[in-house]
Amino acid sequence: MQRRRVVVTGMGAVAATGIGARALWEAARDGRSGVGRVRLQREVNNRVTIAAQIPDYDPTQYFDRALLAALDPFAQYALIAADEALAEAGLAEARPLGARTAVILGTGLGGSSTLDEQHRRVYIDQKRPEPLTIPRVMANSGASHISTRHGVTGPVFAVASACASAGQAVGLGLMLIRSGAVDRAIVGGSEAMITASVFSAWEGLRVLSPDRCRPFSRKRNGMVLGEGAGMFVLEAAECAAARGAEPLAELAGYGTTADARDLLRPDPAGAAACMRAALADAGLEPGELDYINAHGTGTVANDSSEAEALRQVFGNGLARIAVSSTKPVHGHALGAGGALELLITIMALRNGVVPPTLYCEELDPACDGLDVVPNTARAKPVRAAMSNSFAFGGINAALIVTQANPH
Amino acid sequence: MDNENAEHGELVGQILDVIAKEGMVDRARVTLDATLEDLGLKSMDVVIILSGIEEKFSVYIPIDGPLAEAKDVREFVGHVVEQIVRKEA
Repeated sequence: MQRRRVVVTGMGAVAATGIGARALWEAARDGRSGVGRVRLQREVNNRVTIAAQIPDYDPTQYFDRALLAALDPFAQYALIAADEALAEAGLAEARPLGARTAVILGTGLGGSSTLDEQHRRVYIDQKRPEPLTIPRVMANSGASHISTRHGVTGPVFAVASACASAGQAVGLGLMLIRSGAVDRAIVGGSEAMITASVFSAWEGLRVLSPDRCRPFSRKRNGMVLGEGAGMFVLEAAECAAARGAEPLAELAGYGTTADARDLLRPDPAGAAACMRAALADAGLEPGELDYINAHGTGTVANDSSEAEALRQVFGNGLARIAVSSTKPVHGHALGAGGALELLITIMALRNGVVPPTLYCEELDPACDGLDVVPNTARAKPVRAAMSNSFAFGGINAALIVTQANPH
Repeated sequence: MDNENAEHGELVGQILDVIAKEGMVDRARVTLDATLEDLGLKSMDVVIILSGIEEKFSVYIPIDGPLAEAKDVREFVGHVVEQIVRKEA
């Protein structure tokens, strides 16, 4: 029996580049960074002072007061991005979406800012936490709110694999549709962990750059934290066709592996195995990819390890594949990162333009062999593209998209 | 770097003490010639050691930068000494 094909029919985004998929794509393409001075709800003695946060965000523009009381920012972002994706798919008014639809949302920490505020209330103010603390904090809150809002009664759950959360959520949606368990899945990732205590905790891990994120550059010195959400509507190709929905791209392959080694230090072998698994799943040869949106965090360890993994998988063919990291634009959005980057990857495929690696200075010799598309976007026909996500905890995810209607 | 380490003998000793304490390694094994691998120190241990160094010497050392390339305890300590000396200067 032929395997079910799965297409993307809608996308949505909330990011440091603003609200909307188009704003994210245009900023990535034009190399406009959303990084600025970090805004925290409370003063702390942080040494690092930059982050990629949502500009001019006013939740009351999107939600009424009663609903807002139950929504941590991570769930708000997920809902806004899901609404955009469903609108593009032509499903905004299709409620209830029913039992043949799934919602799978990746998130690293869930409701961080709620937890942060309520801890403060308990320990400092000596008060009881607000009554809706638990439903705001829980990692499935975002997925459950999307389910409730759109009447999704099929499988609904959260995936928590740090920076690989969104990649795995999208991949699981693909697998559920292929298996026949559902016909449609609303998938992606959301993260809002730039709170005073979590930001300080990241600083304590010593992986944040004090000035800027420069993936693959010799003088790179760390990552910049981001936040936001990226959501997609995935559908079995025959279901999308039956209702006359236009596919944006085909989601052709998914691979996920674990390093089973160091908690924080990435292993090129695990990343390489992950990319090979995604290629095999898509039925593609390495040489058929034209663009790779790298994990490219800007830390010394990630970028050299990812470069080594890319050389292992693509060999001499790597020279003709464009490989860029868009993290200098939207920051490292952790559980949402894989979704924001898949969205950019799909836009690159659709527009025949590969986005640049911003702030590229001298390429690190350890990243030799990579065409990182330094600083300026490039017109390039893209038949197939991959998006990589590699997480703390040694979890890897790679997704491959192809033209929905290959010529 | 060897010169620097020799010049700051007492400081080097204190840093080795922190590595042993925070990395939970027998102090006698923490020699300048040992590699982090020899001592069984993983990425998590390095983070904890750097936190200990921050507490003791009030200097924040990122995990990236020169430290990422340290091949052995000598180089690791050399970079830490350099940061502390630069801060005091």
